[in-house]
Amino acid sequence: MSSSSSTPSPLARFPAPVRDAYQNFLALHQPADLHLVIEAVLLDFVPKGKALSVGSSIPAESRLVEDLGFDSLAVAEIVFFFEDLLQVSIPTHEVASLQTVKDLQTFVERKLAGGAQAPVATR
Amino acid sequence: MSGHLPVVTGLGFITPIGNDRAAVTASLRAGRHGLSAVEFLGNPNLPVKFVGTVKDFSVDSPNCRDWTWPARYELPRETLRGLAPHGVFACCAVMQALEDSGLAGAVADDPRTGLFCASAGSAMLLHHHLAQMHAVGGERGNPMGVVSSISGTLNFNLGAHFRITGAVCGFVSACASSSHALGYACDEIRLGRLDRVIVVGAEEHNADTVLPFMGMRALSRAADPRLASRPFDAERDGFVGAGGAVALIVESADAAAKRGARVLAEVAGWAQSADGHSVAMSHPEGAGLRRAMTAALADAGVTPAEIDYVNAHATSTPVGDRAEITALQAVFSAAGAHPRISSTKGLTGHPLSMSGVMEAAFCALAIADGFIPGNAHLVNPDPACAGLNLPVATVEESPRVVLNNSSGFGGSNVCHVLRRPAG
Repeated sequence: MSSSSSTPSPLARFPAPVRDAYQNFLALHQPADLHLVIEAVLLDFVPKGKALSVGSSIPAESRLVEDLGFDSLAVAEIVFFFEDLLQVSIPTHEVASLQTVKDLQTFVERKLAGGAQAPVATR
Repeated sequence: MSGHLPVVTGLGFITPIGNDRAAVTASLRAGRHGLSAVEFLGNPNLPVKFVGTVKDFSVDSPNCRDWTWPARYELPRETLRGLAPHGVFACCAVMQALEDSGLAGAVADDPRTGLFCASAGSAMLLHHHLAQMHAVGGERGNPMGVVSSISGTLNFNLGAHFRITGAVCGFVSACASSSHALGYACDEIRLGRLDRVIVVGAEEHNADTVLPFMGMRALSRAADPRLASRPFDAERDGFVGAGGAVALIVESADAAAKRGARVLAEVAGWAQSADGHSVAMSHPEGAGLRRAMTAALADAGVTPAEIDYVNAHATSTPVGDRAEITALQAVFSAAGAHPRISSTKGLTGHPLSMSGVMEAAFCALAIADGFIPGNAHLVNPDPACAGLNLPVATVEESPRVVLNNSSGFGGSNVCHVLRRPAG
């Protein structure tokens, strides 16, 4: 689980099954593993807890704002979480295209596969 | 005009000497300090050994998910995400004050209720978010970075969380900040613009907020907490940093009477005056503070002889305390008046932006509970104090009229006069 960098991974405080699922996805690219990670992160950021509960499977078509109760600040927060996790920067026009849970999953999959659009951070 | 007299109807305390009114009162009466041993940045070589800490809260991490606070306070994630660590203290202090005043649930969406806040912001979070941004060449940053860290973070967050629709504003005058907040809150009420204002002062007690004062040579190096914070003592060598939050609710007498509120004290008057002298040091004779005290007494319509107790700003620095001593001599001793004078910073340390409203709240406690806090750590008064009445132990007397002083960087001096409620 522990990475070689000095700052803890954004997933560090998530339960072991979530961290394991992320590592599994990096190795095996099974969408179900990534979906588990995304659900856990969504649950962590949703402003009003009543929209989601632990262990419930969120329909892929659920809209972040209208169905899950995210406000635009919380969408920005979850985008930053993935920017930090994936070490990429996501331009604003791409953020605007993230409407549903499925959009988010597809987006993260593409970034992990080395999507061409986003600049990769350099030190 | 008397219907617009500002009165104190609620208090909330998250302080080094207690996290509620009963605990704070007990600590003040017993002369019990809340200073804890500290090793900033894990460096045992630092001469700064003590800080006034809040107990039962853990807000050291830059990640709000790591924070813990007493279970009686509910803080939803959508509020927590924008807060600084001292914002957690402040939310809890406000919840406590609203409960204390009987206003819980009553202030949301009321355009006659305002919120005035004071803090220096969160140096720790500012540092953290900027370092993250710099590390990626500015290409991305935490969307909550600004609102959680800059000065103003309290009013941004608390105004939203408590749904305040009257005036919402922040005050930035260092150690006079929350005294400014209280003074201007009283003006809003006196002018009839608002029925009530929640006044909040808060600050962090971590390395990023406190340790820079070591570079200014302003912090005590003493190895014993009773020697580290000892305002007015001849051997004082600097202040002890502290943090927490205090909320004080001030209302118009009419608004308080209309809802049958219990009144702790009246704010009979206030005033301010500046030194025009130095960015960081008090005028050597406390000229601005002298003018501020004189004007506050005049605003309240009281003479020096009518002041029973002065809660001094005195932080335990050689220069600052001396300036205040000189000003007190000029205003009181020269008029043949000898009020009891104490600085409660001996017990609390100096919580910077929070000190003004905290000490106004202590003055309200003194009036409501009938005691005068002493100078708990005073052993050998500075010779310049000759003639000043500086009790060490608590005085079991009920003060009728009390003066509260605050002084800040750049020479701001703000004074309030609090009075026992009539009738």
